[in-house]
Amino acid sequence: MRRAVLLTALAVALTACAPSVPGSSGSSGSPGAQAPASADRLTIGTTADVVNYNPLVGNSRTDSWVTDLMYPKLTQMDATGKRIPYLATEWSYSEDGKTATAKLRDDMKWSDGKPVTASDVVFSVTAVQKEKFGVVAGLITALDEAEAVSPTEVRFKLSRPDGTFLDNVGFWLPVVPEDVFSKAPSVQKFANDKDWVSAGPFKLTKVERGQRYIMDRVDDFGPGKPTVKQVVFRVFPDVNTEVLALRNGEIDMIGNVLPPATATELKSDTAVKLQEIPSLGWAHLQYNTKRKPLDDVRVRQALAHAVDYEAIRNIALKGFAKSSNSSVLTPSLPQWTDQASKEYAFDPEQSKKLLAEAGQTNLRLGMIYDQADPNIARWAPMVRDAAKKAGITIELQGLERNTYLDKTTKRDFDIYAGSWAVMDNPPANLGLAFKSGGFINYAQVEDPKLDDLIDQAQRALTQEEAKPPIQEAARMIHDQVYDNVLYVETFNVAHSAKWTGFQPMPSELLSILNPLSLAAAKPAG
Amino acid sequence: MRFIGLRLARGLLTLWFAVTVTFFLVRLLPGDPVLAVADPNMTEELRQKLLADFGLDKPLAAQYLDYLGQLVQGNLGMSFRQSIPVTTVLMERLPWTLILTISAMVVTIALGIPLGVLAATRAKGWLDRVIQLTGVTAQSLFVPSVGILLMYVLGVWLGWFPIGGAVDLDATGLGATLSMLHHLVLPCLSLVFIQLGGYVLTMRTTLIEALGEDYVSLAKAKGVRRGKVVWKHALRNALLPTTTIAGLQLGTLVGGAVLTETIYAYPGIGRAIYEAVGQLDFPVLQGAFVLLAAAVVAANLITDVAYGILDPRVRTS
Repeated sequence: MRRAVLLTALAVALTACAPSVPGSSGSSGSPGAQAPASADRLTIGTTADVVNYNPLVGNSRTDSWVTDLMYPKLTQMDATGKRIPYLATEWSYSEDGKTATAKLRDDMKWSDGKPVTASDVVFSVTAVQKEKFGVVAGLITALDEAEAVSPTEVRFKLSRPDGTFLDNVGFWLPVVPEDVFSKAPSVQKFANDKDWVSAGPFKLTKVERGQRYIMDRVDDFGPGKPTVKQVVFRVFPDVNTEVLALRNGEIDMIGNVLPPATATELKSDTAVKLQEIPSLGWAHLQYNTKRKPLDDVRVRQALAHAVDYEAIRNIALKGFAKSSNSSVLTPSLPQWTDQASKEYAFDPEQSKKLLAEAGQTNLRLGMIYDQADPNIARWAPMVRDAAKKAGITIELQGLERNTYLDKTTKRDFDIYAGSWAVMDNPPANLGLAFKSGGFINYAQVEDPKLDDLIDQAQRALTQEEAKPPIQEAARMIHDQVYDNVLYVETFNVAHSAKWTGFQPMPSELLSILNPLSLAAAKPAG
Repeated sequence: MRFIGLRLARGLLTLWFAVTVTFFLVRLLPGDPVLAVADPNMTEELRQKLLADFGLDKPLAAQYLDYLGQLVQGNLGMSFRQSIPVTTVLMERLPWTLILTISAMVVTIALGIPLGVLAATRAKGWLDRVIQLTGVTAQSLFVPSVGILLMYVLGVWLGWFPIGGAVDLDATGLGATLSMLHHLVLPCLSLVFIQLGGYVLTMRTTLIEALGEDYVSLAKAKGVRRGKVVWKHALRNALLPTTTIAGLQLGTLVGGAVLTETIYAYPGIGRAIYEAVGQLDFPVLQGAFVLLAAAVVAANLITDVAYGILDPRVRTS
């Protein structure tokens, strides 16, 4: 009897010390597997918490998904990567390319009732320029000064013509409310972790860290009232658990991209719809051009001929990948691609011949990769085995992610195997990846002619003008094997068949979770 | 009083050691935290600026002294990634870890003692052998394996329990408490499973020993009922080593909680540690380790003091 009383007391004490539990939203819960979907709530699975609510700093994928629903950007992109209006309705450069202008829509409001104006845009870009932080800082080096010409017009004065500026700022810069962020002594260190003032299609109303993020519809969202009343991001330990939850009807969508094997399994499930999303990046091998004998182009070409590209795409990626014809201008951005580019053939004999010309025998190289990346972990042994046929020994070095990043940054590798996530603007991205001293120039390419071509493309104010030099740069990268592009992944994102209306955009970052897509999502039928 | 003072000093020394080891250990992790936030557009200049912002540009000894200075003032620093105090990060998570670990401990003791008694009173019988075998097997299992197994069997196949999280979104009042308990079952059971063996086997051994003591024979000779002899006379004396086990097991429990929370996406400190490792968020990692080390040290201190009260010989030894 005494023990029973003690246990009861413990249970009561346990309940009493429980953390606060969420209040009722008044709306129905996640639909069960059999229940029809209602427009009350869309629950999205994610595998990480929001790390930072400051959109100018935020860096995890979940950070972007949540803050993108709260803070507008000047532009979005369409399925081919072309910029389309969001906060900005039109944008242009002056003839000399040293002034860029963006005109804004006048019907966007912050959640405190104040209008979103050009001053907010100026404040956001200037804060990043002054404090030099986040993704945008490296993209606005041409910016001298931004000014609000009127509440709906922003003018950017540039120190040099930069045709990538508007694309970069438009797509990457979240616009934050000046009234709120300007009160912080440092915008970079502003946590923005409560009392959010936002202007996207949904506003963050409740956070249960480690569990879920609850966002309510903004009825007067400028581009149109979202259909769904509430969006909830729910945290799971991994994609496999998310899949179980989607099949159980606990969630309506998985934010994370599915591994190819999981996508194949889900294809036959009629309760689940798979949405194919093109990647804006590519998977690749980079050869350290500062290490012998990889400084010899014949050795790099021999390595390029020693990869069975088709096998990697069909077996490791289960067919969810496209060839980029060994070009850094990928089919995801068709307006830039070079139709003349041809993929390196898997030809071990040609490899042997090239190695013999270069005077190489018994070539032995190490290849680093992130062992936690399921795709690369699958194809790394295939690269090793194919190279063996050409007489090249590749030692696989699967590393813990931070060690891998450390070695990459220090350029401490023979061969780097990895992938880039979002390369949305070739003139800007190739500059970072292949110009001398570029931050992600892992292969340590130093080629004045290539630098010059990329500079030309960056100065060009139209895509037509930028295309010839950037295509020539891509051909050089192909011929010199400054990068060996293996494939462009076709991502698969899963949602319940009870939902429809999503507007897919390229990359895992935008996918069907982009603000305009979630605002348009609705129950099927 | 001197006894408590000595134990307290030993506890503080242990804590300092744990703090120091943690400080240097997290800095031995490959890479630097700036790399974890690196994006394709980051320049070397920006990287250096971030290092300075994080205070990581100073010599290691200076960073260590700064950290100790702040720690004695109760300041665990600011999270690199979240721009909020580490104390805030941890306090949001602590209640969940407390619920998980306390409930696991209570259930383990509540099951472990009776099972130990059952085995001891039927020593060498088939039930004793089954309990011993189960105890040893459970003790040898790795908590993630148990967690995943329970999740698939009880959560996915049978659908009895949720496979993650801590409470349903729409639950309120009593419903929220029930939902919380419902979510707690699988992570709690995982921890109970790996700990139970220790209690059962210790209880069994010490009780068998106690049952052979003269005072037990005397009680039996006086005609006291068998149940009363076991539960009133022998068990009280056999419980002392179990007190020690409770203190010792706390370290295992905390370690197990880190893994269990990760598997079940349970929003406690363990999950925060898992996330902080990936992000190389040194202050959060350090803060979490210090907090857990302090909890283990405090529990051991309480165990020592309690043992001293229960058995005065300990105080004089």
